[in-house]
Parts: sequence; C-alpha cells; structure tokens
Amino acid sequence: MTSNNLIRIRNFVILAFIQVLIFSQIHLFGYATAHIYLIFLLKLPRFTSRNEQMIWAFLFGLVVDIFGNTPGINACAATAMAFARGYILESFTQKGVADDFVPGIHTINVAGYIMYATLCLLLFYTVLFLLELFTIHYPLTLLASIAASTLLTLLFTLVIECFTRKK
Amino acid sequence: MHTLLNFFIKHNHWFLFLLLEGIGVMLIVQFNNYQNAKMFTSANSVAGNLFAAITDVSSYFALKSENARLLEYNKELNEQVTALQAHLAQQEDSATVAALPHKANGFFYNCATVVNNSLNAVNNYITIDKGTADGVEAEMGVFCNKGVVGIIYTASEHYSVVIPLLNSKSSISCRVKGSDSFCTLQWDGSDTRYSYLVDLPRYTKFEVGDTVVTSGFSSIFPADIPVGIIERTEDSDDGMFAQARVELFTDFATLRKVYTVGNEGRKEQWELENSISKE
Repeated sequence: MTSNNLIRIRNFVILAFIQVLIFSQIHLFGYATAHIYLIFLLKLPRFTSRNEQMIWAFLFGLVVDIFGNTPGINACAATAMAFARGYILESFTQKGVADDFVPGIHTINVAGYIMYATLCLLLFYTVLFLLELFTIHYPLTLLASIAASTLLTLLFTLVIECFTRKK
Repeated sequence: MHTLLNFFIKHNHWFLFLLLEGIGVMLIVQFNNYQNAKMFTSANSVAGNLFAAITDVSSYFALKSENARLLEYNKELNEQVTALQAHLAQQEDSATVAALPHKANGFFYNCATVVNNSLNAVNNYITIDKGTADGVEAEMGVFCNKGVVGIIYTASEHYSVVIPLLNSKSSISCRVKGSDSFCTLQWDGSDTRYSYLVDLPRYTKFEVGDTVVTSGFSSIFPADIPVGIIERTEDSDDGMFAQARVELFTDFATLRKVYTVGNEGRKEQWELENSISKE
C-alpha cells in the first residue's frame, strides 16, 4: 500500500511536470489542449474510494492550475471527473467481475476503454471550458474546444496505454 | 438519528464533492480576474434586464403626457429654427449689400428674392419680395450677381413688380465697353437668352465679343453693371443705324436672388429734366 502510494506520488510528479512544462503550452489550432495528467485519474484502480479519487483529482488540478494561472478551473473539472468516473467505469465493467482492476485495454476491452475514457474526458472538458469561458454565448467555440481537446487527449491516452507494460 | 447519520456516512463522497467544487469555484472567483469581472457583469445584467422590463411596462402609462411634452418641445424648436433662419438671412443680406460697389455715390441697395417670374410672354414680369417698406420704389434698378435684371415697375408695401429685360417695354441705357457712345437695349420678344442693342450710331466701333454694360446716364443703374456680350452685328431695318444681338449674362430662368439699387439724387435729376422739357 505504501509502495503503491509512493508510485502514485512519483507518477503524479512526473505527469505534473510533463503536463505543466509541455502539454499546457500547446494550444493546437487555438482550440485543442491536451491534459495528459488525466491518465493518472483514469488509471486509478476500480475500487479506489471515491473520496480518495476526488482528493487526488483536486490536488492534481490545483497544481496544474497554479502553474497555468487558472486557479480552480482544472481543480473543479478534475474533481467532477473523478466523482463521475466510478459510475462510468461500472457501466463498462462486465457483469460478475469483482476484481479491483486498473482500467485499460486489457482489463476492459479496447472499445470499452475508449468509450470510458471518452466519456470521462468529455465531462472534464465540458466543465473545464464552461468555467474557462464562463459564458454560453459562444456555443460553437465551446463545442469546438471540447471536441478538439477531448480527441487530442484521448489520442495521447491511447498512445501511452499502448506503450505501458501489461501488469 | 442513527439512520440520518448512516445516510451522511454512506453519502459522504457527495459532501466531499460539493466541498471541493465549492473551493474550486471560490478560487476561480477570487483569483481569476476575468471570471471575477464576468461574475459581476452577469449579476449586473440580470438586474439590468429586470429594471429594463419594469421600465418598459411603466413607460406606457406615461405615454400621453410624454407625447404632449414632446409636441410642446417640438413647437419651441420649430420657432427657434424659424427665428434663426430669419436671422441668418438677414446676416447674409447685410453682408452682400455691404460688399456692393458705389455705395458712397448716392446709390443704395437692397437684397430681394424673386417670388414670381415669367419667361414665355412678350411682356414678362418678375415679382420680388421687397416693397416700399424696405425703401424699394418704382423706377429703381434691379440686377443680380451676373448682370442687369430690369427696372422696378411698381411697388406695394412688401412686394414689387419688375419689368425685366425680357419685356418689350423694357428699355435700358447701355454702352459698349471701351467706347463712350451709348445706346438702348430692347427685347424683341422671342429668345429669352438674347436682347438687342438698337439705335447705335453707325460710327460706333464695336465688334462681336465686346461687353455691354450700363451707361449710368439714366441714374437708374450705376455705371458699368454688366449686361451681356455682343453676339452678332447687323444694320437696322431702315439702314440708318447699326444694331447688335446681345447674349445676356443674366439667366432669367434660374433667377433667385436679386439686388435693387436706388439713387438718392434720382428724383432731383428727374425733376430737373422734366422742368426743362415743360418749358
């Protein structure tokens, strides 16, 4: 458990660095920004307590916010995603499976994982861009940003998923 | 009580969720200027829309009195416009009159506007909007910026009738610029652009293109007010005199602003001349 947490903290720091130093600086076509730190939240084991998930998400979002000068926005969006993630994951888990598995293309199949990640990311970006624009007066910009960022982050998620070792 | 506590414990993640989101929103509102501003403007626009809606409704009750007030205001403004226009016209008149020549030689001027004009008769008349009240009398000269117009035929208190050059009764004493002999300008009743210099002594030297001006002998006009340009020369019907077709400077079709010119010494001159012919 302790080693598990240490690994998590290590992953946390690495992902935070990559996110803040590289991915937060990229705004593809002015719409798409990848938030790969969400992989950390997507890959939390199935039975991680919801409170723990939310606290991790909040802290991670806050770190990204502090470095990105957007206090609260990422924290809110990530917390919302962490809150909903359990429900989404359950709907893609085959019945009768009682394992405390880590979501991935090997544990729930490829299509399931893509759907699970897409839904989580959609929720995250909807909250994120609503808070960032703080208006619904530009629905096209809003939708374009949500769609583009979701796709981009999903792409990175899948790439990283393919290169991680199967446990 | 126990069930309630159980409920809270069972659903504690909801409270954590709300707490974290609350902190997040608080951070957003407190530390982010853009969101901060938006929050305040949004709040304002809600209040503003409400007030606007209330005003929309209540304004209907005041429409009648508002209308009356606007009508009254309109009337006042109209009066002001009229007064200012009159003032402006007066200013323009005095400015142009002051710029006219010969003021010191006993001639005095008035500015007038043409109110009625005819072109197609043999005997045309022009009506202007100045009369005896403005010092305009019969036998005074009338001219415009371009040239001579005619002579006042009769004047009422506020209006005068002018016999223009385009009237067969019109007869104006003229002179060809550059020569001293004078002659008379008469209209033949046909083309409104041309008039005729008649009774020119045959020895008078004049050419096509010479300028015809007033002679100043009749004391109606000051000397040297332009009349027209000689367009064609010919002999008179009986061969005793020369005559010339003159293209008039004045465009009678578009005549609008004219000046009347009076001469303080004219009456004296006229009486003197009359007394001689009576004897």
